[in-house]
Amino acid sequence: MNYPVWQLGIPGGLLIALVAVTHVFVSHFAVGGGAFLVLTERRARAAGDVEMLGWIRRHSKFFALLTLVFGAVSGVGIWFTIGLVSPEATASLIHSFLWAWAIEWVFFFVEIAAAIIYYSTWDRLDAKAHMMIGWIYFWSAFMSLVVINGIITYMLTPGRWLQTHEFWDGFFNPTYLPSLFIRTAMCIVLAGVFGLITAMREPAELRARVVRLAGKWMLTGSVMLPLFGWWYFAKFPDFAKAYTGSAMTGIKHTIRGGIGFTALVLLMTLIFALWKPRWMRTPVVAVVVVFAFCMMASGEYLREFVRKPWVINGYIYANDVRVDSIEGYKAKGVFGNASWVTATDPQSVEYGHELFVLQCSKCHSVDGYRSMRLRVRNWDATFATNMLPHIELTRGTMPRFAGNEQDRAALGAYLGSLNPHPEIVRLNEASIDNVGKQVFETRCGSCHTIDGKVRPLKAAFAGSDAAQVEALLPALSSMSDNMPPFTGSELEAKALAHYAAMAANSQAGR
Amino acid sequence: MMILFQIPQVDPMPLPGPVWLLKTLLITVFTLHLLAMNCTLGAGLTAAFSALRGRSAGHPFSKRLAGELAAMMPAFVAFTISLGVAALLFVQVLYGNLLYTSSILLGAVWLSALALVVVGYYGYYYFSMRHAVNTRTASVVALVAFGCFLTIAFILVNNMTLMLAPERWFGMYKAHPNGWNLNLAEHSLVPRYLHVIFGAFTVFSAILVHLGTHKLKKDREYGLWIIRRAGMAFAMLTGVQFVVGTWFLLALPRKVAVIFLMDPVGGAIFGFSLVFALAAMVLMLVAGAVENPAPAAHSGLLATLITLVLMVVMRDMVRTAYLQPHFNVSQLAVKSQVSVILLFLVVFAGGLATLGYMVGLVMRAKPGTGERPLASGAGSV
Repeated sequence: MNYPVWQLGIPGGLLIALVAVTHVFVSHFAVGGGAFLVLTERRARAAGDVEMLGWIRRHSKFFALLTLVFGAVSGVGIWFTIGLVSPEATASLIHSFLWAWAIEWVFFFVEIAAAIIYYSTWDRLDAKAHMMIGWIYFWSAFMSLVVINGIITYMLTPGRWLQTHEFWDGFFNPTYLPSLFIRTAMCIVLAGVFGLITAMREPAELRARVVRLAGKWMLTGSVMLPLFGWWYFAKFPDFAKAYTGSAMTGIKHTIRGGIGFTALVLLMTLIFALWKPRWMRTPVVAVVVVFAFCMMASGEYLREFVRKPWVINGYIYANDVRVDSIEGYKAKGVFGNASWVTATDPQSVEYGHELFVLQCSKCHSVDGYRSMRLRVRNWDATFATNMLPHIELTRGTMPRFAGNEQDRAALGAYLGSLNPHPEIVRLNEASIDNVGKQVFETRCGSCHTIDGKVRPLKAAFAGSDAAQVEALLPALSSMSDNMPPFTGSELEAKALAHYAAMAANSQAGR
Repeated sequence: MMILFQIPQVDPMPLPGPVWLLKTLLITVFTLHLLAMNCTLGAGLTAAFSALRGRSAGHPFSKRLAGELAAMMPAFVAFTISLGVAALLFVQVLYGNLLYTSSILLGAVWLSALALVVVGYYGYYYFSMRHAVNTRTASVVALVAFGCFLTIAFILVNNMTLMLAPERWFGMYKAHPNGWNLNLAEHSLVPRYLHVIFGAFTVFSAILVHLGTHKLKKDREYGLWIIRRAGMAFAMLTGVQFVVGTWFLLALPRKVAVIFLMDPVGGAIFGFSLVFALAAMVLMLVAGAVENPAPAAHSGLLATLITLVLMVVMRDMVRTAYLQPHFNVSQLAVKSQVSVILLFLVVFAGGLATLGYMVGLVMRAKPGTGERPLASGAGSV
């Protein structure tokens, strides 16, 4: 809340993801493709294979056009977007790792110069000099990855940096090595995948040879990925590991996607690249490219997701609020202490909306991506206000709320206003059996399940009938500091108790 | 007090190196970025018009110049971007709390600069590859790309001025929090932008004169043609710069302008920059008029580069003066990361050596000595 918030209509995190995923897809190709170029050139020259040499020359032009322009500019795009969306975290990263970025820039600059020279001097340089430029390109590009990997992994596992604030403690952190290996494997896969694209313009015999060569790279990388992926996962912090085993929809789909697309790329490599390379035609290549993109996107999304609620684990929350600023806002409030509040009445819904913008809009939109209106369906202002002090407990992905009682009331009023006509008010005695589940999901489901993995209640309610459960509800907040009071209507209490008792005592549970 | 409150707090982590080192690096990479940017703008416009003019048989030199510039244009863009990234890095660490705020206020406009870079960059590549085949279309594409780069410069000038005007931030945020803003309230915006753009053409003219001297040996007539035209353009553009520069100076707030008129250091730098600019103008005119233009052309280029460096230093002084008394980088906490700085210096030296080695390889090689790999019907790049 140190900076204004760019209200672009979608969560800023989604914008970063869109820019970052397309960038890493090309930038990993820029690294692996460098080795692919020079090794293929060397092999073709050694074998006197003029056709293969001709192809790799043409491929180098495609390589330069894609990596030098889109790859380089989208990399700058990540800088732009993280500065726009998470200025607090970006400032922290820059202050902590300025020199790493400066070193990475030197490699980047040499890489750019080498790429330009490599693709434009096929006629000018002799073979040895030309391949030397190729090697300089590759090693510069790889070293660029080696450096930037330290900063990316620090964000998930800052390790001893949290205590020492020392550069090397943050840079060589617990996930540094596995991440470097997994990214290197991805570079190898993508070197092959992009090779397929330019191969399609070649005559059949040469095309088949190029496809087979590209297939060997894809196979090598694809086989390495699960191994390094397992190593990477083993180094996750405990809270991140817990996500991967949870029932969260986003996580489930991402893990399944990552595994599934990796398997599909591997399968297509075996069939279309290595077994029947002549079957590898443009439509098949398009599918392989899309699958490889989805594989990369799944990995990147998973890496980002398991870091929630942090942008820098233990230091800055995903909403760009510093963990050490929370107590100050709790004591003094946001109104009058944050610079970018435009509302004049701290008790207004308008002010509540500003708090939503300041603290929620980095990850949530009102109606689109991670819709807040859907998430607070059936929440009234009182319930929302009571939930905010415990919001970090809701399935673990939420930052703590930064604000005092007045702020909670304002944001609660705003959240309550998103669904002015809750469905629950339409309840009546006749529908009580059907709506108990809905009341449970609204009032309890953000933090509990009946018999699931997340804080199950089955044991607590086992053996109790509906009347006994209903009798517990008025005393909820006295059972634990983490429990909000039950503020629903008498009818909701009845429906909730009925459902909880029935579900907890049923054999199937939930 | 209100203005102070709206400047975001600086990151609690101290600066990872001394301010003098960070500023030196910022000024160095920014000067190099400007040089590359000047070539990007100057080459694009010159090449497009030369190519169009060269379509007529009576202008073979124009066609030739367009071809030579076309080969270099994508590299100019590449170096403009990569050097700009370095400048952005150092300006972020020193002025991040100001730059992030102004960038957010311009959010949509600021981010659109990247899309324009991609369009402009591919446009220059298109011209580079197609100018000889389809001159007219390629030239139009190059002009569109040039327009993209002009627009990017305008966006950058907006941001660089807005980061110095915290008093405007809150009102702007309240009116348009969606990032569709420009800093049009800034009096110095237009003259500053024109100063940068005309400056780019001026410096590029000096570089063209230098290029002309390299052509003298093989084709004296062609070399002289470049030197005379570019030298004349340089002199005229320098004249324009004096007018635009005066407008810029007058448009600056009084507290900023006085550093060039009252402060001994600021006045000396300003005075020297005027002297070197005038000297460069005279030298370029001389280069176009004498039998042996090389000494005057080289001296003129040197004077131009010195002027450019002085201008960048003045720009930094303007920034510092604008921010007084609200923000001063020399008061920021510093904790130097000595081991990493040393590693950076080693890598930097290694990088320079590698660049030198690669350039050496290319310079020593003669066109046609490479092993042409193409045979048996395979197409060429």
